[in-house]
Formats: sequence, C-alpha cells, structure tokens
Amino acid sequence: MRTKIVNSAVIFVFLFLAFGLFNLQVIQGNRYRELSNKNCIRLLPQPGTRGRILDRQGNIIVDNYLSYDVMILPQEEKGLEKSLTKISGVLGRSPQDLKEAFNSGFTVPFLPVTVAKNIDLKKVFALEELKPGLANIIIQPHPQRVYPYKRLACHVLGYLNEIDHWRLRKLADYGYKAKDIVGFGGVEEKYDYYLRQEEGGSSVEVDHRGRIVRLLGFRPPQSGKDIQLTLDLKIQKIAEDKLRDKKGSVILMEPYTGEILALANNPNFAPSIFMEKSEASITNLFNNPHAPLINRAISGLYPAGSVFKLILATAALETGKINPETTFSCPGTMHIGRQEFSCWDRHNQQNLYNAITHSCNIFFYRTGLLLGAQLIHNYALKFGLSKPTGVELPYEAGGFVPSPLLKRIYKFQNWFDGDTANLSIGQGELLVTPLQISRMMAVFANKGILITPYIVKAIEGQRITSQRKITRVPIKESTIDYIRGALKNVIADPNGTGNVLSNLSVSVAGKTGTAQVAPGQKSHGWFAGFFPFENPKFVICVLLEHGGSGFASCVLAREIIEAMIKEGVL
Amino acid sequence: MRNPKFIILLIALLIASIGILSIYSCTYQKEGKFWELIYQRQILWVILGLVFFLIMSNLNYRRLWDITYILYALMILLLLLVFVLGISRLGAQRWLRVIWFNVQPSELAKLIIVIFLSRYFSSKSVDDISLRASRFGILRGLLFPFIFVAVPMGLIIQQPDLGSAVLISFIFIAMLYLAGVRLRYILIFLLVALFSGPVFWHFLRDYQQERILVFLNPNIDPLGAGYTIIQSKIAIGSGGIFGKGWLCGTQSQLHFLPESHTDFIFATLAEEWGLAGSIIVLFLYYLLIRQGIQIALRTQDYFGRLLAWGISLMLVIQVFINIAMTFGLAPVVGLPLPLASYGGSCLFVTFISLGILANINRTRTVF
Repeated sequence: MRTKIVNSAVIFVFLFLAFGLFNLQVIQGNRYRELSNKNCIRLLPQPGTRGRILDRQGNIIVDNYLSYDVMILPQEEKGLEKSLTKISGVLGRSPQDLKEAFNSGFTVPFLPVTVAKNIDLKKVFALEELKPGLANIIIQPHPQRVYPYKRLACHVLGYLNEIDHWRLRKLADYGYKAKDIVGFGGVEEKYDYYLRQEEGGSSVEVDHRGRIVRLLGFRPPQSGKDIQLTLDLKIQKIAEDKLRDKKGSVILMEPYTGEILALANNPNFAPSIFMEKSEASITNLFNNPHAPLINRAISGLYPAGSVFKLILATAALETGKINPETTFSCPGTMHIGRQEFSCWDRHNQQNLYNAITHSCNIFFYRTGLLLGAQLIHNYALKFGLSKPTGVELPYEAGGFVPSPLLKRIYKFQNWFDGDTANLSIGQGELLVTPLQISRMMAVFANKGILITPYIVKAIEGQRITSQRKITRVPIKESTIDYIRGALKNVIADPNGTGNVLSNLSVSVAGKTGTAQVAPGQKSHGWFAGFFPFENPKFVICVLLEHGGSGFASCVLAREIIEAMIKEGVL
Repeated sequence: MRNPKFIILLIALLIASIGILSIYSCTYQKEGKFWELIYQRQILWVILGLVFFLIMSNLNYRRLWDITYILYALMILLLLLVFVLGISRLGAQRWLRVIWFNVQPSELAKLIIVIFLSRYFSSKSVDDISLRASRFGILRGLLFPFIFVAVPMGLIIQQPDLGSAVLISFIFIAMLYLAGVRLRYILIFLLVALFSGPVFWHFLRDYQQERILVFLNPNIDPLGAGYTIIQSKIAIGSGGIFGKGWLCGTQSQLHFLPESHTDFIFATLAEEWGLAGSIIVLFLYYLLIRQGIQIALRTQDYFGRLLAWGISLMLVIQVFINIAMTFGLAPVVGLPLPLASYGGSCLFVTFISLGILANINRTRTVF
C-alpha cells in the first residue's frame, strides 16, 4: 500500500518537473526568450556614499560631493548613434570620443554604460531637457571623494582607485566586484570594509526602445560608516607646513595612549589625482624617484643614529654594567680591532649623564662592548624595535635589529666587535621607522609603558578600544628618571646637542641623532623628544632624510613647537 | 541487456556525460587554468566514480548492516573534523582537504543516514520474524531515530549547508513512511516541524533567511540573491522547445547565470537543449530511479529493501529540489544535481549509492 503511494509520488514528482519545464519553455517560452534576447531587465545601480573621515574634533578631512555621470542604456544601433551625437553637442566632445568610451565601458547588455564622467550642473540641466526625446540617456548622480584640505594627511588617508587584480582575488569573498572603487593605502585601505558603501539600485523592465515599462524591484543604497581619526587638524597642518620643502617625516603622539595627533611626510601627493583619472599625473606619481606615495613614518626604514644610544643607556643601567658614576674618557678616536672609530668631537672624562647630553660616541662604544651585542639586541626588542608597532595603517615596516645570531643565519658571517660598536651608536645594519622611535621615546615620556600607536578613534561615533596592547617595559623607575633627566639636559645644557630647543615657554626633553648613510650622501637627521617635561602631552619625532644632521631636525622641531604655542594647541 | 546493474551503469554514465558536456559549455570561455581543466577533472571523477560503483556492486551489501554503527561514528567524526580542519569557501565551512582534493562530508552523511535508518527499521521481532517498525511506540518509532538523525543534521546546519539538511529531513520522513511507522507519528512529526519553523528561523544565517525571502519574491533583491533565480528562469525559459544549441547558450556563456556549472547546471542544460533535451534528461533520471524502486520491490530482505528505497528516494528528492530550485519553485539552498553537477564528493556518493543498489539486486536471491 505505502510502496504504491510512494511509487506514484515519484511519478508525480517527475510529471511535476516536466510540466514545470513545459510551462517555462513553451507556455512562457516566448516571454523568456524575449527577456533573454534583449535582456529586458536593466539594472540601474544607485551608489551609496562612502563613509567620511574626520579628525579628532570632528572636522571633516575627507568628504563626498555629488558628481553627475552620463550613462547610456545599450540597445539598437540607431538610437545609440543619435543619443551620442546629441550628448556630444551638449558636452562639446566629439561623437567618436564618446563612442570609444561606450565601447570600452560596455560589459553586458542590461547594464547602462558610463560615457562621460563628472559633468557640471549646467550641462546636467541641458541634458535633462534632451531626455524626453532620447529615452536611453540616464544621468546618474554619483558621490565623489572630495579633499577640502588637498594634500593634508594624504599618507594617513590613502586614496581611492579601481580595485586591482590582486586585491580583487583576496576580497572577492567579501562581496567585492571588478571595477569597484576601493581604498589604497592608509585608513582608506585598512578600514575599507567600514567606509565602503553598499550599492543599491533598481531592476526595471524596459521596452525595445529602452523606455522603462515597469519597476521590478528596488533596494536602497547603504552609506558607509564615518571614521574619526585621532589626528588633530591644527597640529597636522603645522607639521605639514613646517616640513614643506624638506624630505622626511614628523610624528606627534600622545605619550600615554598612543593616539597619533599628527603624522606628516614629505614629499606627499594629492589624493584627488586618482579621482580625476588623469593617467599622466598618476604615472608621474608612481615613477617619481622621491616616492611621494610612501608613508615614510611607518614604512620608511632608516638607521637610528644616536637616538639608539638611549637603549644602550637603559640596558647598561639595568644590567649594572655601568652605574651613574662610571666614567669613560673620550680622546676623539679609539681603535676596535684594526679599525679606527671616532667621535664627532673630543670630550674628556664623563659619565653617562653627560655622554647622553653630548651624544658622545666613544662612551657608547665602550658601553656597547661591555654589554655585548646580544644584550643590546634584547633591549631593543623590549622597546618594540624590529617588529611593526601595530598601528592600524597598512604596509608598516618592521625594521631590523642585528645580532650575532641573525648575522650568522642571514649572511654566514661572524660578528666582530666593530659590529657591536656600530650598533652601539645606531649605525650598521640597524633599521627603524620613525613611528618605532616615537614609541620608544614615549616609554621615557610615560615612565615605562610601551603603547601601541593608533590613529582611528571611532567608527560611526563608536569608540574602538579593543585590541590595543599596552605593555609595561620591565625597567626600573630610577633608570627611567635618570635618563629623563639626561634627556632634559640635552636641551637645557648650553653644550647639549639639542640646545636650540631651549628658551621655549615649554620645557622640552629629547635626543638628537645623526645617522650616517652611504659616503657622499648627507646624513639623516633625527630628533625624538617629548614636552612638557613634567607632564608630557606630546611625543615628537622628526626625521629629515639627508637633512645633514640632528641639528636640522631640532630646528624643525622648534619651529613646530613654536607654531603650536602660537596656535594655542599646547 | 536485461541486467539491472548494466542498465543502472549505462544511464548513470549517460547523465554524467551530458553533465560533462554542459560543464564544458559553460566554462570553456572562462579564463584561467582552473576553468580550462574543470571538465577534465569531472571526467576523472566520473572514471573514479565508476571504480567505486564496481567495487560497491561486488561487495555484499549485508556487510553494511554489520558496520552500520562504525559508519555512523565515522560520519560524526568527519562532520566534527570539518569544524576543526574544514576549508571555508563561499562563506561556508563544508570541505575537508584530503591530499589533493576537497571532500564534502555532508554528501557522505546523506548515504550513511539512509543506511543507518534502513538498519534501524529492519530489526525483526524475535518470535514471528515480522517487521517491528509498524508496532513501534512513539519513542522507538519516532523519537529515537530522530535523535540519531538530528545529531549529524545539526552539525550539517552549522556548517552551514541548508540544502543537505533539508534533504536529510525529507529522507527521514520518507523512510519513516516506508518502514511502516504509524501514520499518526509521522503526522505528529510534521506538525511539530511546522510549528517549530518560526523558532528555527532565528537559527538561520542572514543569507539563508534572505534566500528564503527571495524565493518567496525574487524581486525584492534583484541585484543580489534574487538575481540568480531570475537569470535561471530566463535561461530555462529562453531555451524553448529545441534549445539554443550546445555552446550557444547566452545566459550561461555570458556569465549572467552564477554557479552555472554546479548547482544551476540544469538551467545551462535546459537553455542549450531546450524542452526536448531536458525532458530526455528528466526521463533518464526517472528510468534510473525506477530501476532502484523495482529492485526495492523485488527484494525480500527488509534491510535491502529499505536501503534500495532510501537510495532511490534520496536521488528523487535531490533531483526534485535541485531542478525545482532552477525553476524558482524551491529556495536556493545549494544542492547539486546528482551525476550532472560539477563536484567530486556528490558524484562519488551517487556512484557508491548506485553500486549498493546494483548489489542489492544481485544478492537479493540469497535470502
């Protein structure tokens, strides 16, 4: 009994399917054939607006405005030619030009093709008047990125461009499609998923002349989320202003939380170039030997120079290899192995305090040799060197801190005392990013905390506080206090290397550095410091690529701090 | 020629060849190494499937009775492994990587559940060797088997693989019915399932909810989930009576139709070969399943009979859900068309099932 019922159910299922086929292919066959032939379903996409980017006070750094694109619905040849001629009359472009744009933009018959982008409002009205006669023209409002401050903070922001092959492969699973506009570099790339708008649109059935017969469905577009940065627009402006005409990077950071208040690099670029789509200027940008697209503050690798001596000082005091009373004499040069190492000046008998103040090389050669390379390496890692700081910007470099083991592994070479000496003054193979140095300096400013720098404060008004790692560097408070004192003396002492920063209405502490590069080229100039000395509110790091010396960076830092005092942001 | 094993093999290979032709048709224009080789891989899998068929058809199916519990444990283990080691693709974690290809354990689970239920319901009473299923109370007739089916099903839903889960619940109901469980228990089960629907709704993923809403009205999301259904209907409908011809389907070739080589292979086929071709394919499926049903009717052994029924119905339900899905008459749940869709796991399991069928036919006279 039951088997018979099941047997008939099976037969019924197949008859049902056969009837379904018959219904679709014969009864409704003509309708579907037509839909398929002309593909009468047109999709009219309606883009949402991408999230804006704000500074810490809520000032808009990146905004959107409506631009208008002219689109054409693909259909029979005759109507196309006619519409293109009319459009070319209004826009003042040749019909061949438009035809080419049409052919290159054509993907499928049911999607409209953009033939002209970003036309001004007057022409929009003129075209709207043409529309009753020419049904296949669509004028599509299209939100565009606008940068009210032009180049400001360009490396933090990044730019927008059409998705490339590599990104598309990675992101296809997250709903990204070919020809999508996505962020490249900076916050635009890292937070693209949040900033990104969701395309809405309507599907309509159109007749053979491209007129809309009826609306089949509609989905409203969704706007992206606004992102608030920790940047302070005023400070950022000052930093970029002072850095102009120079090559390098400036970072200002809050020492206790790691909020980045300003991050400026020069040379820089105008992100709007990518919106305008002028091939020549984009190619120029990519081929520029000064690499304006590189965010030097996080991706630039430089020898640390004398700034690195602070790590030796800490290591030496912590391990007890020297104490505040230990003195070394500096005769100007010394021999290590067969090589002669020199100091930039002659200093007499001096202790650590004065050695930091005068940035004496000989003192640190001797300290370094006492410590040994492995210990120096270990302490550098405690200060966060040799790995990315974890700031939420893409393409952060990790840097490199050499050690005997690493040299053996990578170069199959032995480690010599000369290498230790080079490392002791931040030369040799040591490479750091300006952000790593800012973070290291913050440890002295906030008395022992290794913060994770960050740049995004809130997404759509919601503060993000998770995943910020704050670790305590295991060093004694007395050591930090001692080095802080020395850092203050670098500025306060008339013979200190950073004396140019004294006599400001705010007390600054810091360390200069002059990192030698290949012979014949000017040295990189470093200044890393914090101010006000008692209750630090800012960590500053200035790097001038081939700036000559640490002195040049000190001068720049002074200009920035002076401007900040004048603007009242201190 | 009258040998059912030979007929089953012939029909299966015919359908698989038609599948390969359609897979070639909708992928040969796509660029990339993966797409160029895809039909060759399917050919390789059909050949391997053939080997599985021959092995299974020569292996006494009563052995499955002996190892039912081992198979059940293996299935649970594999499904759990998917969560630990599984590979995510298209937002679902369904695949296990085995050396050089990906296995989908949920495909295997369908067959093992059929074997398990067949054994469970073919237990005989000691005194008069009649089937006990019709005298089962609600506990043994409904609740216990449901618990055994619900465990792997829950794991499959979590992957998430809604299609396989739906299929398994259909198989479960069909097996209850065929085993002779009292009708009122089946009705109770259906009612409970119906009323727990709204509760179950909240456990579905967003995209699954969306798909069911879209199934009810494809036009609410014409750019997203509804797009597939609309394009699939256009593809089938535009095929007309004789179709557009092989390699000439515009819908599948111009990439209007997503998943045209896997879940929507029938739409590709119907577009290119029209009503004539698709009716032939439907008829082939019917013949195949008819063989299965006849084997079931001829077999005296209760276990073998239920197993043959279960396998035949598994195929019917899969064919029905998949094809109805391409018509827009069932929600898009991601279930392949057995033998025709691209994909190794489904193909192997189908060939293994058919091999078991053939063996039941061979061994039935033993009892």
